[in-house]
Amino acid sequence: MNEKDQYKNRIDLLQGTLDMLVLQTLQWGPQHGYGIVQALRLRSGDVLQVETGSLYPALHRLERQGWVQSEWKQSESKQRARYYRITAKGKKQLASDLGRWERIVEAIGSVMYVKPEESES
Amino acid sequence: MRWFPTFGFQRRKRELQEEIDAHLQMAIADRVARGETAEAARQAASREFGNIPLVQDVARDMWGQAWLEQLGRDLRYALRQLRKSPGFSITATAMLAIAICANSTVFSWIDGTMLRPIPGARDTGELVSLQRGERNFSPVPPFSYLDYRDLREQNHTLAGLLAYHHDWITLTGGAQAQRVFIANVTANYFDVLGIKPVLGRFFLPEEETRPDAVPNVILSYSLWKTHYAADPAIVGKSIEIARHPVTVIGVAPEGFVGAMPGLRDDLWVTLDPLGTDVWRITHRSGGAVWLNVIGRLRPGVSRDQAAQDLDTVMHHIVAEYPDDHLGENRITLDPMWRSPFGANGYMAATLPILLAFAAVVLLLTCANVATLTLVRFVSRRRELAIRQSLGANRMQLVRQMVLEGVVLSIAAGAVALVLTSWTSKTFAWFFPASSAPIILNGSMDHNVVIGIAVSSLLAGMLCGALPAWRSSHAPAIEVLKAESASVTGGSRNRKLLSALVVAQIALSLPLLLCSGLFLRTLRNLADANPGFEQDQILTATVGLNIAGYSNNEQQVIRHKILDRVSTLPGVKVATFTDWIPMSLTQKKEDAYPEGYVPRPHESLKVAHVEVGPRYFESLHIPILEGREFTPDDDEKAPKVLIVDQTAARRYWPGQDPLGKKLRVWGMLFTVVGVAINSRHMFVNEAPEPMVYMSFFQQGYETIVQVETEGNPADLEPAVENAIHGVDSRLPVFDVRPMRETTQLASSFAVIESTLAGMFALIGLILAITGIYGVVAYRTQMRTHEIGIRMALGASRANVLRLVLVQGLWLTGIGLAVGLAFALGLTRFIARLLYGIGANDPVTVVSVVMLLGAMSLLACYFPALRAMHRNPVTAIREL
Repeated sequence: MNEKDQYKNRIDLLQGTLDMLVLQTLQWGPQHGYGIVQALRLRSGDVLQVETGSLYPALHRLERQGWVQSEWKQSESKQRARYYRITAKGKKQLASDLGRWERIVEAIGSVMYVKPEESES
Repeated sequence: MRWFPTFGFQRRKRELQEEIDAHLQMAIADRVARGETAEAARQAASREFGNIPLVQDVARDMWGQAWLEQLGRDLRYALRQLRKSPGFSITATAMLAIAICANSTVFSWIDGTMLRPIPGARDTGELVSLQRGERNFSPVPPFSYLDYRDLREQNHTLAGLLAYHHDWITLTGGAQAQRVFIANVTANYFDVLGIKPVLGRFFLPEEETRPDAVPNVILSYSLWKTHYAADPAIVGKSIEIARHPVTVIGVAPEGFVGAMPGLRDDLWVTLDPLGTDVWRITHRSGGAVWLNVIGRLRPGVSRDQAAQDLDTVMHHIVAEYPDDHLGENRITLDPMWRSPFGANGYMAATLPILLAFAAVVLLLTCANVATLTLVRFVSRRRELAIRQSLGANRMQLVRQMVLEGVVLSIAAGAVALVLTSWTSKTFAWFFPASSAPIILNGSMDHNVVIGIAVSSLLAGMLCGALPAWRSSHAPAIEVLKAESASVTGGSRNRKLLSALVVAQIALSLPLLLCSGLFLRTLRNLADANPGFEQDQILTATVGLNIAGYSNNEQQVIRHKILDRVSTLPGVKVATFTDWIPMSLTQKKEDAYPEGYVPRPHESLKVAHVEVGPRYFESLHIPILEGREFTPDDDEKAPKVLIVDQTAARRYWPGQDPLGKKLRVWGMLFTVVGVAINSRHMFVNEAPEPMVYMSFFQQGYETIVQVETEGNPADLEPAVENAIHGVDSRLPVFDVRPMRETTQLASSFAVIESTLAGMFALIGLILAITGIYGVVAYRTQMRTHEIGIRMALGASRANVLRLVLVQGLWLTGIGLAVGLAFALGLTRFIARLLYGIGANDPVTVVSVVMLLGAMSLLACYFPALRAMHRNPVTAIREL
C-alpha cells in the first residue's frame, strides 16, 4: 500500500466521525451549516472545532446518500439559510455509526489501559 | 472556459455560494452581537471559515460532476498543447481532413446513387428489379405486359409489382418543341413505390390499359416548376404532347424522378394512352417485350424466396406459351442498389472499390499522423515524466494524449464536412451531356455526416491511442534521471516508429499499383480501335418519331433531310442510323435463323441497329462480303440484313451467310452482306453478334450521321439549319461530334483512374514524408553517437551507409509487405481493367521502383546532413 492510499484511509476515518457528529446534531432538530458548527462547539465545550472546509462537502455527501434532506428557510434572524434534516435512513446510519464508534472506543480503551504485567506475559 | 455547462450544475454551484454567504453572515452577526466591530467580525468570520474556493472544489467533487470538469481541463490542456506546436497541428489536421474528405466524397456518391436508388420512394430496401433470361450487364426491358400481369397476379411473395417503359417524347404546343422523357407505367406504379401526389391524383387500376380520346398525364415536379411556373391550378388543364392533347391529372412530389436509377422521367402516362400500343399489350414476344419490372417484397420474405416463387410462375407461363419464350427464361432478382437497369449496375462495380481505396488512404494518413504524434510525445517525455511523478496516473496521461488526437480529428472532420458539401456535387462532372437523361450526383445527407463523424473519431483514436499508450510506458524516474541514455526515445518507441513507417510504405504500394493499372487501362481504352472511325463524324437526332408525325410524313421528311444535308459544303457522306455505338444504350431483339434449332435455354437475343445507305462507308467499317444498303432498300423492297462476323459465325458456322434468312419480329430478312466486327457498348466487351437492318425499312429513331471533311463541331449549325430548312418545327437534339457521345462508354474508367490516381498521389506523398520524417528524426537523435563514431575514425561513407541502411531496411520490409498486400488486392479490380493483367509485371516493377527510389531519396537527405556534420559540434550536442 502506498502513501496515497494510507492518506485516503485517514480521511475515511475522520469522515466517518464527522458524519456521525453531524447526524447526531441533526437528531435534535433541523439545522443549517453554521448552526451545526455552533452546536458541536457548544456541546463539546469548545473542544470540537469543525472545519467548514470539511463540513459542507460532508453535508452534500450525506444528502447525496439520502441520510439528510435540505430546504431553504428563513432563520430566526431573518437570514435565508439552507436547513438540513435527518432522514429515517440517516437515523439508521447514525445508529450503526454509533455502534462502530463505541466498539472503536472500547477497543482503543482496552489497548490503552492494559496493565504492564499482562502485556509482558 | 467552461465545458458542458449543465443547468443542475450551475444551480448547485449558486446554492453553495449562497449557503457559504449565509454562514458568513450568521457568524458576523453573532460576533457583532458579542460586541466586535463590523469590520473585525467580517475578517474573523472569513478567517474562521477558511479557504472558500477549496470548500467549493471539494463540494463539487461530491456532486459527481468531477469527470466533466476534468474532461474540460484535459481538453483545455490538449488545446494548449496543440497551439504550442501549430506546425504539427495544422499539418495533421490538413492531412486527416483530406483523407476523411476522400472517404466522405466517395461515400456521398454511393449515398446519392446506390443508397437512394429511387429518390422519394418508401423503403427501397424492399424493392427488387426483375431480370429474365441470362444475366446481363446492360439488359434491355425483359417483360411483355401479359407475362408481367401473370407474374403480378400469380405470385405469393410480393406486396406489389410495377412495370414501366420510358422513351423520349416532345412537348409541343409551344413555339419550339421541347424534348422530355416520358414513361408508360402500370396503374400501381406510384403505389408500389410509395409515392403520393403533391397535386391531383395518380392513375386508377381501370386506366392501366385503357386508351382515352384525351389521355391523362402526370407531371414531374421539376417540369411543373420550370415549364408551367408551378401553376397551382394545373390539374385538369390540357397540354400537348407530340401534337396530341392530354389532360394533366396530377403532379409528382419534389425529388421523385422515376423508377430507373440515374435516369430522369419528366412525364408519366398509362401503358396505352392513345390506343396505339394495342399490339404491344396483347402479345408475349418480339416487340411486345418492352417493360422493366420492379417488385416490392412482402414483409419477412427474402429475395431468394421471391425469386423462386416468381421463377415457378414464369415456368408455368413458359409451359403455356412455349413459342413466345424460346430462349432462357429464368427470373433473377437484384436489390435496387445494384440493379442492372439504370446506372446502379455501373455504380456497384466501381464505387465500392473506390471507397476501399479511400479507406486505405485514411489508414495511411492515420499511420503518418501517428508517427508525428509519437515523435512529439517522445520529445515531451520529460514533461510527461514530471506529471507522472507529480501523481498523474497512467490512465490520466493516456486520456490526455488520446484527447489531443481526438481534438485534431474532430477539427479535421469539420473541415472535411465543409469540403465534402462541395466535392459530393462533382460527381456529375464525369458524365458529359448525352442523349440519355442522366441525373447522377452525390448527396450530402445525414448518412454522410454520420460517416464523417465515425471516420474522424476512428482516425482520432488510431493516431492518438497507439502513440499515447506507448509513451505512457516510459518509467518516469529513468526518463528524468538518465536523459542521455534514452536519446532515441527507448527501443519500444523505436520499434513502433519503424512499424508505422513500414505500414505507410506497405499501404501506399497497393494504391500506387492500382492507380497504375487504372491509368494504363484508360490509355488502352483510348488507344483501342473500336472498329470504326469516329473522329470526323457528327450526329444529330431529329425527334421525328416522338413529335407526332405519321409514318408517311416521316419517310418523306427523312428523304428531304438526307438530300439537304448531303449537299452541305464540308459534308463527305450523310446517312441515317437509329443508334450510336458506345453510348451506354443498346437495342436487342430475339432473332431466329431459318432452320436453326435453338438449344434449350439458349438466349436468342441479338443486338441490332437500323442504318441508312453508305453508313459503313462513313464509319470506315469494311464490308467483307456482299453489299451495303442502298436507298432502294425501302419499305417496298424485300427485307434485308447485314450481319457482322460474330453473327455469321454463330448462326451459319462454316457456311456462306449471303442469302441466308433470319426471322425477327415474325418477318424474314435476307442477308445481303457481312461487315467486320466493331464494338457496340464498350471497348472491352466480349464480341456479341450484331445485325444491321435497313433504315428505310425498320428505322425507328432518326439520327442524321455525317462524315465531315474538317472538324465535325464546325458543321453543327449548318446541319441543324439544313434540317430546320425542311420543316422549321422539327425538333433537333444532341447535335454533337460522335467522339463526345462515345466518351460516355469510358466514363467509369475515367472515374476510376482519376480517383485512384489522386489517392495514389496522396499515398505516395504521405509515405515519402513519413519515411523522411522518421529517418531525419532518428538521425538527429543519433547526432551525438555519429559524432563519436567520426571522432573514432569512421569515414563519411560509413556514416552515410549507417543512416541509409537503416532507412533502406524499413523501405525493403515495407515494399515486401506492400507487394504481398497489393498482389492479393489487385484481383478485385481485375474486372475493371482492359488490355493489362491484374499483376502486370511492368506496372508492378515500375511502381516498386518508383516507391523505392523515392524512399531512397527521402533517406538520402538526412544521411547527407549527418555526413557533413562537424564531429566536434556533434559530440557536444545532446
